[in-house]
Amino acid sequence: MVEVAGRAVGSKGEASVAGNTPITTSGRTAPLLSVRDLKVHFPGRGGWWTRRSVIRAVDGVSFDIRAGETLGLVGESGCGKSTTARAIVGLVRPTSGEVWLNGARIDGLSDAAMRPHRATVQMIFQDPFASLNPRLTVGATITEPMTILGLHSPKDRQFEALRLMRLVGLDPRFLNRYPHEFSGGQRQRVGIARALAVQPKLIVCDEPISALDVSIQAQVINLLMDLQQKLGLAYLFIAHDLAVVRHIARRVGVMYLGRIVEMADSSELFAHPRHPYSEALLSAAPLPDPARERVRQRIVLEGEVPSPDRVYAGCPFADRCRRVESDCRATPPRLEGGNHQVACFHADS
Amino acid sequence: MTQPVLDVRDLRVVFDTDDGTVRAVDGLSFALGRGETLGIVGESGSGKSVTSLAVMGLIPRPAGRIASGSIHYGGEDLLAASPRRLREIRGRRIAMIFQDPMTALNPFLTVGEQLTEMTRLHLKHSARQARDHAVAMLEQVGIPGAGRRVDDYPHQFSGGMRQRVMIAMALSCDPEILIADEPTTALDVTIQAQILELLKQLRRDRGMSIILITHDLGVVANACQRVLVMYGGRIVEEAAAGALFEQPRHPYTEGLLRSIPRWDGHSTELLRAIEGQPPNMAHPPSGCAFHPRCPYQLPRCSSESPSLTPRDASGDGGSKACFVDLATIAAVAAPAASTAAGSAPH
Ligand SMILES: Nc1ncnc2c1ncn2[C@@H]1O[C@H](COP(=O)(O)OP(=O)(O)O)[C@@H](O)[C@H]1O
Ligand SMILES: Nc1ncnc2c1ncn2[C@@H]1O[C@H](COP(=O)(O)OP(=O)(O)O)[C@@H](O)[C@H]1O
Ligand SMILES: [Mg+2]
Ligand SMILES: [Mg+2]
Repeated sequence: MVEVAGRAVGSKGEASVAGNTPITTSGRTAPLLSVRDLKVHFPGRGGWWTRRSVIRAVDGVSFDIRAGETLGLVGESGCGKSTTARAIVGLVRPTSGEVWLNGARIDGLSDAAMRPHRATVQMIFQDPFASLNPRLTVGATITEPMTILGLHSPKDRQFEALRLMRLVGLDPRFLNRYPHEFSGGQRQRVGIARALAVQPKLIVCDEPISALDVSIQAQVINLLMDLQQKLGLAYLFIAHDLAVVRHIARRVGVMYLGRIVEMADSSELFAHPRHPYSEALLSAAPLPDPARERVRQRIVLEGEVPSPDRVYAGCPFADRCRRVESDCRATPPRLEGGNHQVACFHADS
Repeated sequence: MTQPVLDVRDLRVVFDTDDGTVRAVDGLSFALGRGETLGIVGESGSGKSVTSLAVMGLIPRPAGRIASGSIHYGGEDLLAASPRRLREIRGRRIAMIFQDPMTALNPFLTVGEQLTEMTRLHLKHSARQARDHAVAMLEQVGIPGAGRRVDDYPHQFSGGMRQRVMIAMALSCDPEILIADEPTTALDVTIQAQILELLKQLRRDRGMSIILITHDLGVVANACQRVLVMYGGRIVEEAAAGALFEQPRHPYTEGLLRSIPRWDGHSTELLRAIEGQPPNMAHPPSGCAFHPRCPYQLPRCSSESPSLTPRDASGDGGSKACFVDLATIAAVAAPAASTAAGSAPH
């Protein structure tokens, strides 16, 4: 199952598992996951005669997730959501920055060193068709991570698989069936049961419902929220459907070109977006309400998201921003503020 | 509705598969009004794409075949038209935008070559005229540097730009009817908003009639005047967009509306999921195809198939295919939400 991590440029050697936890600013309990100034750069196009460009897929992302909490990440395709997720679970090596899980530093670990942390953080993917091994039965799919981590006796693993199947709403009679016999929604349940097999505290969900039929999406959203209540799970929930993120996440970060440009409590962010990019993103997302749609004003963003291999002296959004001023192009704005953070010199107040 | 430009009656399309005969479209009737944007929504596999392929005369043979029905365009039944006549109409009078631009674009030809091919054939443009027209079309769909990019190949465009190229191709002969099959599904919301705006502009400025197929109810609310809801190869409800969203009269429509969250924070505690799985159309359920998942099912729903009847007494508020009267039930307790899948693998 362990995927070969994509090699990132300038990736440092293995980080040692340091003993000290990052300092928390608030007086509350230490977060389950801390991401600090995470950067993941990939080698871009260019040959021996030109300088190779660098794709800044993730370019300085920081956030915390507390136990039992859901952080949502939104943003247009290519803004670095999946790369952030993959860096956290160790499928890609960060170029710089730190990832702390439960007080241990886990960025840049080898597969072997990462193994014990796999019981804490798991991942579920967008495509339930591609992410399951077609040659493994549902039972084998769910018990495999237990075997790898040496959890339970072989006999207990079967019982555990049956328990998990019930937990995610799969009929335990299907233990010996193969993935192709299931529909998309059921396969996603198998993926969730597999992730739960090691009793993780955090599940990174990368577009877990995008490939599902609309009528099935709500089943999976409800299941994830139900499991969170029962098991105290934390989620990093990535989706491009803003409404789904608003629904499932307590806090939400908006990404643009590898950075978080705004982060706030979900209800606050969707009611009062302050970054011009967040405003435009929300204004473009239609509501299932013809009466509202008729009167809504749209902020039209010109052009498309630029290539992530450009280097910006100032704010990367400046070229498309309707509130741009001269200071925007001089220095990059930092993500600042109390509970509602914005990276913008002219944020809406 | 205004004067119809397209009138589909009792359309039936079947496919022979290893799993048996699939009745992909099973007795579909609807009309498209002039200057109207008609939305078609529904579960995947409910026959939306097959309906549009039938209108375009593109049902793949020999696996697929039109078992019955008529599709009237002007005075003419497209299902009875000669292949030559269909070629004249296709692209010129009725054009289509596919979900995946790569199925419609030839990777070995520049977008200019593909655009000019259409207008030289249909509009008898000279080479010079055709090229100018191609550049103008690319400009109209918002491709920056159109004069340069006309000589690029499809793979040199990003996903959003490729979609626009295909839209430019579909629009190049100024068709009367545009069929857009999930035109924005693969795109980000900001690009989607630009394309929906373009479609609205075409309707407004040229009186184009549009069939917009989507599974996104937000897109329907934004762009469509009237909506067909499909399930299992049939229309289960048809109404003006406002009425359909405010007062769904088919349990599937109601289920869809209740199962989606809204980002503006309107009622978002627990989503009421539609239980169970979409039907396998090679072995569809007896009676009403939705009955195994329906919270309101009556005994007769598993044996009888309801036909379309008026949604309300006046008879001009659309139609629905359901034995249950949701208008009277609405006051009574709503069906319980559930997270269980329960049903067997297909
Ligand atoms: N292995 C890789 N090699 C090179 N570029 C990559 C790789 N993975 C992702 N990218 C690039 O990094 C950027 C961010 O990608 P991704 O994290 O997948 O975005 P998202 O999930 O938000 O759509 C994109 O420009 C993408 O093309
Ligand atoms: N070429 C084909 N061969 C066999 N079955 C097909 C073919 N195309 C479509 N179908 C079947 O027809 C039904 C309707 O498909 P379609 O119109 O593509 O659905 P959708 O509403 O998702 O667009 C489905 O059950 C599908 O499996
Ligand atoms: Mg992604
Ligand atoms: Mg389709």
